[in-house]
Amino acid sequence: MGLARFGLRNLARHPGRLAVVVVLIAVPFLFLLLTRAIGAAVLEHTEALKRSVDTALQLRARGSMGHVNMVGSSDLLSQGVLDKVRQLDHIVKVEPYLLAMTPTEGHNFAMVVGVNPGDAKRLESHGEAGNPRIVAGRDLASADQGKDVGLIGQGFARWAGITTENLDRATLTLDLRRTHPAIFALDRPARMLRIVGIHASGYVFGDMQLFIPLETFREVYGVPGGISWLFLRVDSVDHVADVRRRLDGLVGDVADVIAPEHAALFASTTTGAVLRLARWGTALAAGLMAIVVFFVMLLVVRERAWEIGTLKALGAPPIGIVLGYLIEAVAVCLIGALVGALLFALAGSALAPRLFALGAGPFLAAHYRDTLFDALPLAGVGPTSLPGLLGLSVLVAVAGSAWGLVQVVRLSPLEAMRHE
Amino acid sequence: MSDRQGLIVLRDVVKEYRKGRETIRALAEITLDVPEKGMTAVVGPSGSGKSSLLHVIGAMDRPTAGEVIVAGQALVALAERDLTRFRRQTVGFVFQTFNLMPTLSALENVMLPMEFNGVPGEARRPRARQLLERVGLGARLGHRPRELSGGEQQRVAIARALANDPPLVLADEPTGNLDSTTGQVIYELLREIARERTVLVVTHAEALAQMADRVLPIKDGRLETQGVVPRSL
Repeated sequence: MGLARFGLRNLARHPGRLAVVVVLIAVPFLFLLLTRAIGAAVLEHTEALKRSVDTALQLRARGSMGHVNMVGSSDLLSQGVLDKVRQLDHIVKVEPYLLAMTPTEGHNFAMVVGVNPGDAKRLESHGEAGNPRIVAGRDLASADQGKDVGLIGQGFARWAGITTENLDRATLTLDLRRTHPAIFALDRPARMLRIVGIHASGYVFGDMQLFIPLETFREVYGVPGGISWLFLRVDSVDHVADVRRRLDGLVGDVADVIAPEHAALFASTTTGAVLRLARWGTALAAGLMAIVVFFVMLLVVRERAWEIGTLKALGAPPIGIVLGYLIEAVAVCLIGALVGALLFALAGSALAPRLFALGAGPFLAAHYRDTLFDALPLAGVGPTSLPGLLGLSVLVAVAGSAWGLVQVVRLSPLEAMRHE
Repeated sequence: MSDRQGLIVLRDVVKEYRKGRETIRALAEITLDVPEKGMTAVVGPSGSGKSSLLHVIGAMDRPTAGEVIVAGQALVALAERDLTRFRRQTVGFVFQTFNLMPTLSALENVMLPMEFNGVPGEARRPRARQLLERVGLGARLGHRPRELSGGEQQRVAIARALANDPPLVLADEPTGNLDSTTGQVIYELLREIARERTVLVVTHAEALAQMADRVLPIKDGRLETQGVVPRSL
């Protein structure tokens, strides 16, 4: 019959009171689990967003679309920008492009894009989308660099009379002297390209693009240096804002920087806000549990002062008495936590969205709120580390009972004499 | 101790309490020598200092001044840890209100001081059983205090006081919560155990005082006898 067992046996002295105390601890523990689960779900959702979000930044010459023959918009980024951006941290890929326009029929035109083979074949006006499907022939290869070859969009191919059947002998001649209201002539000789493949994007304008090797473009259009577009891929959405800031400082006087900051903004604002709320919720719940334990232990020590005095008068070691009461506090807290966990298992899925709507919803930006509400997998949330949280409840029990235990230590054996 | 003295030796013991700005002198230069074995009754009106005397002898309270030597141990010089050990090994307490642990059975209550004293589990149970049988409660071992009468509870408390076989048993008004018939049983039990050890009883009860080997009347914190009780009366 150790004092530890003595402490445990004390739990059963007042079953009604024990039930009330367990509920008082279970409710904040349930709240703690819910806030943790909401935080975990939001974090998981954000990580999923980060994985699917394009982290590429686009640079263009300031105020220019950067097409080498586009009326009023033919300024290019200097070649030096390429060297500067390569020095930045968190850049995992640098993709330079050159662009030109070529008239087709009426007021329509097609786009010629110089790209390093292997880089993303980006579709203008759909810059985020890239690498359209190859429906015939092959893609550009590194061996094609500098050669007169091209990968043509299915719309442009249809205009040029190129089909899957005649692809093996298909050519396209670029006549740089032809003009258009938005295209000025270049005094360069026409160039015949061999078409090696046909791509299809599903976008009308994307299907009017012709990809040729970057060095080939430079020779065809006489552009020895300069870049129309420069795409920089950042290693993580978390670094996009930082890279953007540093790019502004580095080339901001000559370049427009277009950054997909929505995901980064989402991570830093919405997710951050929810996680902060979840952390505060956890702290609040732990605090409430500690307060319950604090008052319960004070009550217990006060009403059992004579017992503590008696134990001391009988020569019980103070550490043993403290241990008995500490075990009682920890046991109460653990029972409360387990009941809270049980309630979470039974009703967490139903309660979490309501708590999220009530607690976090008002603090979120309106344009994120509905998206998050719809996307959060709250039905499937669960405590990621119940043992850890139970460990937390033990710590809470120790913290909450600390003052009561100090009183236990201070009590004199004379308290035994004050028992009525 | 160079010369052989009594089990309890007090020299000029003073105990003062502060109550607001007032200082209350509960014990005034008490000098006392209680021999080994036998029952000594401390009698006196309420507030006379008899309980304070018991607390000081039982190491539950420290004197303001003076010397307290019990079973050869100078209590004033002992650290808290040693006082705890002293209470565990040298003294057995019997309280007016029995003070049994309500969640423990009679047997477990008697085993408790032995556990504090490091007595192995296999030795505790038979000794506790033997002590309870000695006080006539062999059939009530598994009963909790609330299932026992007042007299039975006090007998369990006496068995508990004897658990570690202490040379001194201190009893504070042991019959104060009992009717006279039951009180008589307790008197006789205390007298019986006083044959083998010292029993110091604080009491209002005239009957119990008359059964004691020695009586120490106390009033206003002072002993009314010459102060030192002879070793044999």
